[in-house]
This record gives sequence, structure tokens and C-alpha cells, in this order.
Amino acid sequence: MPRVLTTCIYCGCGCGLYLISDGKRLTGAYPSRNHPVSRGALCVKGWNSYEFSNDLNRLTAPLIKKDGKFIPASWDETLGLVVEKFKHYKNTFGPDSLAFLSSAKTTNEENFLMMKLARAVFKTNNIDHCARLCHASTVVGLSLAFGGGAMTNSINEFKDAEVILVTGSDTTAQHPLIGSRIINTVKDKGAKLIVIDPREIQLAKYATIYAQPKCGTDVAWINGLIYVIIAEDLHDKKFIEERTEGFLELKRTVRDYTPELVEEITTIPKEKIIEIARLYAKARKSMIVYSMGITQHTTGVDNVLSLANLAMVTGHIGFASTGVNPLRGQNNVQGSCDVGALPDVYSGYQSLVDGDIRKKFEQGWRVEGLPPKAGLTVTEIISAAGEGRIKGLYIMGENPIISDPDSNHVRKCLSEVEFLVVQDIFLSDTAEYADVVLPSASFAEKDGTFTNTERRVERIRKVIDPPGQAKADWQILSEVARRMGYKGMDYKHPSEIMDEIASLTPIYGGITYDRLGPYGLQWPCPTKDHPGTSVLHKEKFTKGKGTFMPRPYIPPAESTDEEYNFVLTTGRVYWHWHTRTMTNRTSTLEREAPEPYVEINCEDAEDLQIRDDQLIKVSSRRGAITLKVRVGHKVAKGTLFIPFHYREAAANILTILAVDPIAKIPEYKVCAVKVEKI
Amino acid sequence: MKNEYFPYPAVIEDIKTETTDTKTFRVWFTDKVLADSFDYQQGQFMELSVPGAGEAPISISSSPSRKGFLEFTIRAAGKVTKSIHMLKKGDYIYLRGPYGNSFPFEDIKGKNLYFVVGGIGLAPLRSLINLVMDNRNNFRHIKVLYGARTPDDLCFKDELEQWKKIPDTEVWLTVDKPSAGWGGRVGVVTELWKETHINPENAVSIVCGPPIMIKFAADKLQESGFKDKDIFMTLERYMKCGIGKCGHCNIDDKFICKDGPVFTYEQKKGFRHKEHIF
Amino acid sequence: MRGKGGKDMKASKVKIIGKKKIKDLLREASQEWNVYVPQKWSDGDVWMDQLPKDKQMLDEALEDVVLEDVDTVISPKDIFFPQLESIFKFKDDKIWETPEFSPKLIFGVQPCDLKGILFSDDFYRRNFEDRYYVSRIQNRLIVARGCLRPPRPTCFCSSAKTGPFAEDGFDLQLVDFGDSYFVEVGTREGEEFITMHKKFFSEPDGNYDMTIKEIKTKACDSLELKVDFQNALSLMAQDSFIPEENYRRIGERCIYCGGCLYVCPTCTCFNVFDNVKDKEGERVRNWDACVFEGYTRETSGHNPRKDKWLRTARRYEHKLKFDYKVTGLSGCIACGRCLSSCPVGIGISKFIQEITEKRKIM
Repeated sequence: MPRVLTTCIYCGCGCGLYLISDGKRLTGAYPSRNHPVSRGALCVKGWNSYEFSNDLNRLTAPLIKKDGKFIPASWDETLGLVVEKFKHYKNTFGPDSLAFLSSAKTTNEENFLMMKLARAVFKTNNIDHCARLCHASTVVGLSLAFGGGAMTNSINEFKDAEVILVTGSDTTAQHPLIGSRIINTVKDKGAKLIVIDPREIQLAKYATIYAQPKCGTDVAWINGLIYVIIAEDLHDKKFIEERTEGFLELKRTVRDYTPELVEEITTIPKEKIIEIARLYAKARKSMIVYSMGITQHTTGVDNVLSLANLAMVTGHIGFASTGVNPLRGQNNVQGSCDVGALPDVYSGYQSLVDGDIRKKFEQGWRVEGLPPKAGLTVTEIISAAGEGRIKGLYIMGENPIISDPDSNHVRKCLSEVEFLVVQDIFLSDTAEYADVVLPSASFAEKDGTFTNTERRVERIRKVIDPPGQAKADWQILSEVARRMGYKGMDYKHPSEIMDEIASLTPIYGGITYDRLGPYGLQWPCPTKDHPGTSVLHKEKFTKGKGTFMPRPYIPPAESTDEEYNFVLTTGRVYWHWHTRTMTNRTSTLEREAPEPYVEINCEDAEDLQIRDDQLIKVSSRRGAITLKVRVGHKVAKGTLFIPFHYREAAANILTILAVDPIAKIPEYKVCAVKVEKI
Repeated sequence: MKNEYFPYPAVIEDIKTETTDTKTFRVWFTDKVLADSFDYQQGQFMELSVPGAGEAPISISSSPSRKGFLEFTIRAAGKVTKSIHMLKKGDYIYLRGPYGNSFPFEDIKGKNLYFVVGGIGLAPLRSLINLVMDNRNNFRHIKVLYGARTPDDLCFKDELEQWKKIPDTEVWLTVDKPSAGWGGRVGVVTELWKETHINPENAVSIVCGPPIMIKFAADKLQESGFKDKDIFMTLERYMKCGIGKCGHCNIDDKFICKDGPVFTYEQKKGFRHKEHIF
Repeated sequence: MRGKGGKDMKASKVKIIGKKKIKDLLREASQEWNVYVPQKWSDGDVWMDQLPKDKQMLDEALEDVVLEDVDTVISPKDIFFPQLESIFKFKDDKIWETPEFSPKLIFGVQPCDLKGILFSDDFYRRNFEDRYYVSRIQNRLIVARGCLRPPRPTCFCSSAKTGPFAEDGFDLQLVDFGDSYFVEVGTREGEEFITMHKKFFSEPDGNYDMTIKEIKTKACDSLELKVDFQNALSLMAQDSFIPEENYRRIGERCIYCGGCLYVCPTCTCFNVFDNVKDKEGERVRNWDACVFEGYTRETSGHNPRKDKWLRTARRYEHKLKFDYKVTGLSGCIACGRCLSSCPVGIGISKFIQEITEKRKIM
């Protein structure tokens, strides 16, 4: 058929779109009129999602590096080499000399297989993926507080919210079909919007209150809000009493966070703190929306826990249009976590420390001796690769050279690892370092499911064949397992993998391809007759009682000094996706944002005598990049913003490899830099 | 049905370096029928292709009075023009056109002419200037006022010298930033007003250059008493198809590629958002 | 050349066809034509898709054909102007073009969309023919289908007089009459089509003219959204009548998805780029949109429409001012798609309401 209903490849909104093809290539992408998220609309990336997979520079054959050059080879030879090397390392240095980076761009089924390959076949828990870099703090934090790390509401609930508090999310740019709902709710239905963000984003124009805190001071202002709420008796005593535990500790912790002190730490005027606290607490239906501005800190988990405290203290959770809503970045970052591409849990966040759960998976997979100890995280894997502790590294659909902090460090590590396998659709910057490159299929060339940010498990459907010899990731992973002599990974179709996921994963228990239909199902969906769940923690929290886990304010890892006197915060732009491997092959998107840039405040620009569009050098203790300046009011004085997409001036050359002690998420949002004219 | 989007091969016969980033390419069609029937007017442009790199609209810098070849003076600025700069003598380049309207010629016979030019803007104007020089007796006094960023950015240096030698023809040069050895004038092109008399009587002026320069020069000419309809200028827009279809070069109900690129000051003042034309 | 969608002949003859016969008619017609007809998908979406030629697949597709309450996200413009299409291919020093000429029967076109098609036909034919568009429409027959009810809540065709029934421009037009359709004949090509497939059609009984008139009036009354369209056109014709503030406010709210322009039946803008590997590749064009900043950014970085409000102004002025100035027809055909595909509730009907009723609604 020339037209196929599928799910968008870009962000966590998970819009339903139709891809059009002429049989050989994609020729268009249209929104689904009736899909609950897209409802006849898409963002610019969705509208143009048909283009990148047609690029003639797709990988079309397996490549083996010989004498520093990639030589096309057969699948047989290439996978033979991969298996030979990995077997050798496993036997010689033990299973933990291997590591696997899965991908939030690939399907649930493929992520599940990647973790099965790592655990069941190679017997290591060294499996992780880029969720580590975006919402690891959410997975940890909300699990501790509520018992589940996901959006507690659904996308269509925004329309009935009375107050929406957006922090650390440039929603219209990064989740356009959610950002647009927020605008509509505010403009057309009179909802109140609170925006708290170091950048004056598009949503700030619609905010009843906009506050611009100093980067990395989130715990302080959240504690400040709770201080005011308790002081003014705006907390929900009944909710606290019936549904939570630990309120006294919370009270004890926040009592130091007077509006005056919070103003001192965050630069948010104390009157604003009081105003925000009242507005948020008094409304009947308040939704918190947050994203990487909250999570990508050394205090990422603290930030998330503090937001959870704020929601629970006011009883703003567990109801329709009322809750805590982490917006997941990648199309399938929710799903890749759900199905266990993480070092410490199996699918459905089932702990691998639990012997019974291990036993269940051993039985399900017909293997013995699943490793009981948590594996390494993304950043630890990269470092271990550089130190020689990881000998064989298998990267599927990720580009850590651009996406991970301290690029120079990543480059060094990847050039030193003994054997690197990269599986991707294009020869990415990371693939350049590979010993073996495996060509894979794009989202239009395979079947599977993605899980969007509102926990909606949705189908993607094959429209066209992959180019050349490229194969779907699930097929490649199955073939590796088969060559390792494992018989439990032979599938005819991804639906069989989903059946396996359902059989081992309570939250996905009721999900089958037959049931997914055009719009999918929202987990938890434990049984075959369960209709799915739109609001989490309704009568009680997933873990029983919600737990207040108060945290003190801790400053960021790197503070400014006389030399490195600017705070750099990084992020994304509307037009590009992450490391730009797809969007720079999309004519409209690349044209709109062809160049890297740094945002600087007008006053700073004047002090430094820098003009708009002028090239400047920005450097940190780790490296330097040169890029054009955009002078404006978006960032406060003393702050710089750089989108991380561009290899030409990669922001992550500057960022610091300092991580949250629990979630191991890097602090992309704060580091100290200096600016020089060139 | 003719396919206007389909380009025709031409061979690069000669390449002349004008400045550090600008070269003049002399090309001609390989197809004899096409070569024999091809005709164009001063100020028109063509779409130049390097398959793989893309296509860009480039003004013809040669004069229609000089037959048997086409010249394009191109600054390496974007993807396509950089690719063209990589081409060598004997290579193929693909052309379609000519497109756009032209500089006035018949209507300005018998008049004094003021050419006000900035930088690479001399490329399209050179087409008209050489046409005028080839019909020198039909025109009265001619002044070429030419400004560039640096002495090195002055194009067609040989021809500037030749024009100077033609009777009743003045060439005034100025640069924004002088370099060592530059003995000439310094300042933007409108500074030349201080040195040479600009007389609007029985005169037309033709302005070509970067948008900001056109804006200042046209305002200055108007101050000097030129009527709006006697100030001709070229407007510049991002352009794809060259034939009024892709939409990019739209201003109001006009397409720069089809209804332009040459407009009078009078026309410019009629645009809806006239203060945002440049 | 047949079926140009001739505009000069008024509907003069009327036939009748039972609704049950439509499938068989389409089956027969698909032997000669590439038939495009609205088909319903499992998710309830309706798309104007080509019927498959394979017999079994054709039978299945015919089961999904719908002709009433059809709300397609895109107008049929993509049949002639696809979102992405080839201009030519090249390898080494050779280049070759690949135009498309197949005969097309477009069945069940809404009257507003018909106006859009005719508007675009004129644009692509005028002063430099667009080879690819014009070759696609060369051999085309349009069967319009009037709307008894507005398919979208955002429809406002009665205000712009672009529907709910077409007065001309169609080869044939279906008028819904219970179990059957009256078939108005608009052109000789339409008449020939009926003759070719005469076993499906019969003569209507009695005073059918009155019946048709009544159906059309009732359909017109069913449109709830009414705007002062003519007034908007004359206001737009006056320069600088619309305050900059209107455009600024809309430009701020816009999230620049391009959707309103992609779905617009009269939007024709495209971008051109080369897809290449080594020395082999293709020059393609795809839909572009004037609301994008890069749409007018020059190589030097200079951009005359850098400001959002200027791009917003361009969009409305193009449709309601300059198209009208050049062609005497509004570029907006009042299909309401821009509003129904806008994530932030911006639409041309609302813009018209803002300027004619002097109030802020966006």
C-alpha cells in the first residue's frame, strides 16, 4: 500500500502519522486526523519525517575496518567477526568485559532484544542507553516517590488543567504537540501558566508568572514554594495524611527555605516565589510539566524528588489533569526504559537483584545464571572502554561522540576500546570509530512499537524495504544471538517479541499487536482485557503510600570563577533532533537551522562588545568551540545557551562529566565557560 | 511541452580570477542548435547547476552585444557557488534560462547615465555597461561610481581601466577598508557624492549591489533630485526555480525572478511592506 | 487532450445513479483510469487514494470507499503536486527527467477543493508552465461531490461561495439524493464518461431541478461557521488597514509547523534540493512554506522577512490580498483545513473574524 499509518520517529509526543511511498522511497508524511495526539496536526519535524530515510548516503552494506578504511563485507563475514571477538572477550576476560548501548530511537522489541542479548546470551548487565542522559533522574526519583517513573497524566488532559507549571522544558520546541496544547489551554480556556526556566522560552510569553532562576538552583526554589505553601496553610492535609509518608521530614527540611533565602540562591524575587506558590497550590487542577532542565543535573534526582514533594504536599497528583509530568525526549525513551534496556532492571522496572524475578526471566528465556549484579551506565561504560575494562562495545543507534558530555573524553575512550560495533542507519561520528558497522533499517522499514511519553504503546509499520543489505535491528540482534548458539531469539515477526515482553512484564501484560489497533494502549495494561491507564496513582500510589523525600539545595558541580565566568546551559532547537544525523538530511529542517550558535544576553554582549552573528570562542576547562553569537534577552546576564546538535561546534566538548550520584545522569545544564572574541 | 526545470550542458571555456573569492566563468552550450538560437538581455540571470550540489540563480555578466559565449561572475558563498568554483576549464556546467526582466536600454538612449555599484553588484551591471559601451554614441555622459569593501574586492579591474579611457566616461572608485598601496578614495559609495557632481537632469541612474548599499544609494539619488521612476535598482531574494513557481522570491504580487530583478524606486515604494524590502 | 476540467460549460444535463452502483462504476472506470477516491482507514481517517489495479485488492479497497462526510487532512492537490517529487535524475554527466502522465479520474472532490485545484491549475499553467504539474493534469476527469453537511467544523465555504456545491469547473458533480446521486454534467468530457459507462446511469424523473435546488439550499444552510468573507477581501485590498499587532500576535502564537500551508489547497511553494551519492543522484522538490524563516534567508545571511510578523503578514496577504489582486479570486477557498490542522488554533477564518469583527480571538 502506498499509505501506512505509523508513529512519528522524533519526540515523545508519539504523533500518529501516515507515511506515503512510491514503493521504493517515502514521498510524504501526513498527520492522522483521528489519532489522540496528532489530531490532524504535526510539528515541522513530523511533517518532514519522510525525507531523511531516502538519503542516498544511507548505510547499505556491513562494513569492516581494515587498515583504517571501511570495506564492504557480507553479513556472514561481518557478524562472524563480531561473534568471534565477543566470544573471545567473554571467555578470556569475563562477561563484564562486554557492554551494550541500546537506543531510544529503536523499537520496544529491539530494546528488549538488546537487553536479552546482553543478559541471556552474553551474561552481562552492562546495558544502558541514552535515557541515562535525559530522564534517568525521573526513573529513579519518581520511582522512589510514587513507585513509577513516568508521566502521571495523559496528553489530552492538558486542556482541563487550571494551572500548568512548566519548568526545564522548552515545550513548544521539544514537544510541540504538548506545548501547543498548553498555549491553547491558556489562551482559549483561561488556564494559568507558570514558567520557571533559565531561558525565556516561547511559553514564557503566555505565562501568568515567568521566573528566571539561576541554572542549577531548582531544589532551592521548589523548597521555597513548599515553605510558602506550608506557612500559608495551603497544603492538602487530608491527602498528606491518607496517601503519603514522611511529611514531618519535609517540613523540617523546607523550613530554612524562606523566600528571602531562595531569592538569594536563585535570583527569583521573593514576591514571585510567594505568588507562584499560591497560584499553584490554590488551583483545583495543577499539572507540573518538566523535562531535561530538571533532570540533567548532578542534583537531577533531588530536583525530581522535590517536584514530587511539591505535588504531594498540595495533593496535586493522582487525578485527571492533575499530576507530575516528565516529558520524555525520544520517541521511544519511555519504551526503551520500560523494556529494561537499563543496567539494574529487567523489563517493567523489575529489579535484577530480586532472585525470584531473575528466576522468572531464566525460565522465560530458557537460560541459567543471569548475572545478579547491576551493570555499568552509559558514561561508566564509555570510561571503562577507555580504561580497557570494556573490550567489546556494541552500540545500536546512538552517537555518544556528540550526545555524551565531554566529547574529547568520549573520542579518546572510543578510539581506545579494542572492538567497537556500531549499528546505525548512517555513518555517524561515532561509527567512524567502529571496527564493524552494521547497516540497519529506519522507522519506515520495519514493524514494531514505540511507547510515547504518556505511556502509550503504539505500532510502527513497515512502509518500504530497507536500502541495500540493511536489516531491521531486531533481525540483526537475533542473528547475533543465533550465531552465539542461543536458540531463544528466533522470531518471525516483532509481534512475537511483544508477546514475550507481555509474558514477562506485568505493566505490558495485556499488550498484543492485535489489541494495539490504530492508537495503541497506555500502560499499565496488566491483562488481556485491561483497557489501559490514562492517569497513574489514582486511588493509591503504585508503591502504596507516596513518600516525601526532602532534599537540601546543593550547588552545581562546577561554579563560575574569575576566568570561567559564564554559566553554560545546553539544550536543543525546534528544527533539529539530537545529534542531527536525521535532521541534517532533511532539507527544510537543515535550512532553518544550519549553523551552531550561542545565545548571550544583550548586556553581556555590550560589555564584551560582541555583535549579533559575530564568531566567538567559548571554552571550558575541557575544550573550546567557535560559533556565532545570538544576542538577545532569552538568557539572563552571565548565562550562555548552546544547542548540542552540531558536530561543527559540539556543545558537549565543553560540558562536564559530573554525574548525579544515584541516577548517573550528567550535568549538561551547568558548567563554567569563558567567552573570547576572535 | 518544454521543461523549464531541465538544464542544458555547457562547457567552461575560460576561468578568470577577479578577487580572492570571485571568478568569472566563460561558458557556452555544447548543443549547436541551442547555441545558435540562444539570446538574452542585459540584467537577466540564469539558473546554474552542479548536479549533486544544487542550483543557484546567477546574473549574466557578459553583454548581449558580444555573441558566442556567456559569462558569469560568481562569488563562492554557498554550497552551489563553492562547487562551481571547484570546476575547471573544460568541465561541464548546466544552465537554464535566461530569466527575469532586464535593465532598460532603448528607453535610456540619449541620456546621461549614473551607475552606482557595490561589490559583486558590478557583475550584472557589467552586462549593461558593456552594452552601452558597444553603443557609446547613443548615450551622453556616463559616470560609474563603484565601491567595494577592500581594493581586492574590486571586480573587472582591467575593464574599469578601459572604461575610464572612453571619452565622456568617468569611473570613480572607493573602498571601505584600504589596504597597503591603495592610493584611491576611502569610504562607502555614497561618499563619492562629495567629490563628483550628480546631476539628475536628463539622467537615469542604475543601482546594483548589496541590499543595504542599494537602500542608501537610492535614497541619496532621490535627495539629489532623481525622479523615482529614473532610479533603477535590482532586488535580491532567495530563489529556487527562477520561473515564478517555487514562491521564495515573492514580494506582494510580484516575483523577483519573473517581474524583476530590476525595479524602479517608484515600484519599490508601492510595495505593501516597503520599509522591509531590503 | 480530454478532461481539462473545462470552465466554460454550465451544468446543463442531469443523470441519476444509484449509490449502490458507485462501486461497480469505479471498478469499471479503473480499467481505463487511475481512479482516486476517498477511502476510509481503520482509524477513521479518510484519504483520497488511488484504487489498486489488482482485482482482489481493488475489491477490498472499494469496500472502504466513502463519499459522504469526507474530511481528508490534505486536499487532492497532492495528486498533482506531491509532497516530494523528482525533477530529474543524474549520473556522471547525464541527466534525464521523469514526468508522469497517467490518466486520472478524481472521484468525490469537494467543491472547495475543486476551486483549489482550478486555482492551482491556473497558477502552474500561467507564464512558464510547470512541466510536472501540467503533465499530471493533462489527462484528468473530475467528479465533484457536493457536501450536504460540512465535513469539518471549521468549514466556511458558504461564506466564500466556494461550496457546498460547485457551480462550474467540474466534469461531473454528484448531488446526494437519498439512495442515489443526481449527476450534473459540466463538460463534454463528463458527458463522454457517462456515455462510456451508460449502464450505471439513468434519466431522473419529474421536477428534478427543483429538488436539486432545494438540496443545495439546505446544504448551504447547514454551515454554522459564517464569516464576512467579501468584507475581508475589501479590507485587505486597502493597504495598511490591518494593524501590525494582529500579525505580531498570531506570529507569536504560531509554532511554525508549516501545517496550514502544507494542507492548503492553493499553496504551491516548494523547495528544491539534490540527493546525491558520489556522482549519481536526483534533483527533487518538496513542499515548502512561507512561514519559515529560512524560506527567504539569502546565502549571505541577509533576510528581508526575518521577523515573524512579516512572515505571518505574508501568509494572509498572499491569500486574501495579492491572489485576489492578480486573479480576481481569493487564494483562500474556505475549506477550513488550516484551522483544523493547526496545533495552536490559528486559522484563516479566525483571521477574517478578527479583522471584520474587530476583536481578538487568537
